[in-house]
Amino acid sequence: MTQTLRPATKARATTVVAAKVRQATRTKRNGAHLTPYLFVSPAFLCLIAFGVAPIVVAAAVSLTNMDISGLASWRNVEFVGLANYSALFSDAAFWESLRNTAIFVGMGVPVIVVVSLAVAIALNQSSSRFFRALRAFYFLPAITAIVAISLIWGYLYNSQFGLLNYLLSTVGLPPVSWLTDPVVAKFSVALVAIWRASGLNIIIFLAAQQAIPKEYYEAASIDGAGRWRQIFNVTIPLLRFAIFFVSVTTLISWMQFFDEPYVLTQGGPTGATTSISLYIYQQGFRFNEFGFASAASLVLFVIIFVVTAIQLRTRRFSDD
Amino acid sequence: MNRVLRTALAAAAAFALSTPLAACGDNPPAGTTAAPTLKVWIMGDDGKNFTNLVSDFTASTNIKVDVDAIPWDKVNEKLTTAVASGNGPDVMQVGLSLLPSFQAAGALLDLNTYLRDYPNLKNENFLDAVSSDKLNPAGKVLTVPWIADTRVLFYRSDILAQAGFSGPPTTWTQLHDYAVKLAARGKGQYGYYIPQWDAPLPIQFTWQAGGSVTDSTGKVNLDTPEFKRAADFYTSFYREKLVPTASDFDQTQGFISGAAPMLISGPYLAKAVADQAPELAGKWGVTMVPSDKASTALFAGSNMGVWHKSTNVVASLKLLDYLAAPATQLKWYQINGELPTVKSALSDSSITGDANAQVYTKQLQNAKLLPVVPAWDQIQQKLLDSLNNIALKGADQNATLIQLNQDVASLQK
Repeated sequence: MTQTLRPATKARATTVVAAKVRQATRTKRNGAHLTPYLFVSPAFLCLIAFGVAPIVVAAAVSLTNMDISGLASWRNVEFVGLANYSALFSDAAFWESLRNTAIFVGMGVPVIVVVSLAVAIALNQSSSRFFRALRAFYFLPAITAIVAISLIWGYLYNSQFGLLNYLLSTVGLPPVSWLTDPVVAKFSVALVAIWRASGLNIIIFLAAQQAIPKEYYEAASIDGAGRWRQIFNVTIPLLRFAIFFVSVTTLISWMQFFDEPYVLTQGGPTGATTSISLYIYQQGFRFNEFGFASAASLVLFVIIFVVTAIQLRTRRFSDD
Repeated sequence: MNRVLRTALAAAAAFALSTPLAACGDNPPAGTTAAPTLKVWIMGDDGKNFTNLVSDFTASTNIKVDVDAIPWDKVNEKLTTAVASGNGPDVMQVGLSLLPSFQAAGALLDLNTYLRDYPNLKNENFLDAVSSDKLNPAGKVLTVPWIADTRVLFYRSDILAQAGFSGPPTTWTQLHDYAVKLAARGKGQYGYYIPQWDAPLPIQFTWQAGGSVTDSTGKVNLDTPEFKRAADFYTSFYREKLVPTASDFDQTQGFISGAAPMLISGPYLAKAVADQAPELAGKWGVTMVPSDKASTALFAGSNMGVWHKSTNVVASLKLLDYLAAPATQLKWYQINGELPTVKSALSDSSITGDANAQVYTKQLQNAKLLPVVPAWDQIQQKLLDSLNNIALKGADQNATLIQLNQDVASLQK
């Protein structure tokens, strides 16, 4: 009996100990489980306070007739359902601004990616003093104040006394309405934005190139690959992630295109350079139609969200 | 731990004690302060001149005036911030084009019950165009007139004389015929100039055609034969290539160089031309705007109002009363070149003695306010876009105007 009992007791005792140990581990594991959340919580709270909350507020405001009188007293704010959205979709100016934004994105994003990649590869060919000076030179537009840029380019582009038209006249060409012709103005504004945005992307591509191990190039040259071959078969494939990063960020920033048309043309002539962001700004901060502007900004948010999601998706598939 | 707790308690106690004290500092009981400081918002870059203007006021009343100059393109931002936070100035200048926004925002104190104590602020002192009933919702006085501004026809008498015209055009037909002849001077020479951002211009044309842009209920209505005629007159300058199409055409330079020898603008252009091209003196002039049925121009300018939460209402009204005194109005005209809204000041010899000012004064008798309706900013943007689409992009005139009327109606729902 005792003999039969003993193993049972022993077994029970073992079970108890094991349970205690397991419990202890679980508590310990639970604590360990929380630690990462503790670390991400400040960033997460910031994201909620400054990223998610404004979107929720904008979504709520977009269902009201909020304007400046609503700002003065909540009593003047009324729930209007989807009226702002139906007014938005029937506004010809909204569709024109969407079309303009699509044109700007179509022009700007490929040009920026190609130009900054090309310049970055060219700049990486040497680290002489001259090339280092060039790097600073290309970065200059990115750190210059937009107001100064708009003044200078405004003078260059001016149709009456602009430098560009003067240069054209010296070779006998007729003047161009850089900022005053509805078609030309789109290109003029996009050109300034491309010139301004390239610097930062060049730096990103330069940094990514420095991270490519020298061994690859050595191996390639031993195999007899020339300079061009190395660029196309070593550098560019290894810059894949940088190219992806630059295209995503550039695409997002061009969908929110605002600064250049705001300072150069105020969206004119006749709305030809009004981007969707500028349209939202005008509705919200010139006409004080906060509800309507919130509806428009929510539409823009959805568009950007969808486009970026598609980009991330295709990237994942191509990686597989 | 104990120390932390004690420190926290001390801090909380200090905060609790200081709060009522701070509140006392912010809101002195009315009447106890002998010399309040008024915070005043002045639009544009005239803040310094305004400080000089009110130095007499401070000397005689002991009320200090703290002037905050706000650039015109920042006014709306400043207003929305002030409305949202509840913190505003005591007195503020309100450009007439911004009056609907300021009224909708509930930013202005109703001065109706106070006015009888201030003789200078009597309604009959001011020009008819800015009489109280035209500026305010029924039964209220939210602002009082401050400075007057209008539009007149600027013309280059030397260039007109070369083209065989002895004087400026006085009718639409003449304006058109003169422009045709002047535009034929050659390439880069125009007959007239239309600023593409100038929304009041087509409205003035409508008035000149004998029409109105509001119906009997006060709503904006552009579906009238007079507006159609005005729109047609506006676009005809582009159709017949009498005006520059570049939106960045500089009107001052264009007038000085003679490329645009006629245009409708405000007194500020006279100042710019006199400053930048003194040698042109005697070669240009101003006159009443040409008429189709009437010679009506825009009444622009600014009013003054009191912030709805101001704690210095009496002192603010004293300042408004001082600003509306004929002597102050004339002094402002001398130091800043802006015209008085007070009738008696306009008949002073310092104004009647100046040829240009005489024309402005005469035009002010035949000048109208833009409609004071909340959606006006959006309506005038739609109006400009429509006319410029017809003029510059070749959009169909009838279809565009029908769409404009629909937009105007839906903006006022």
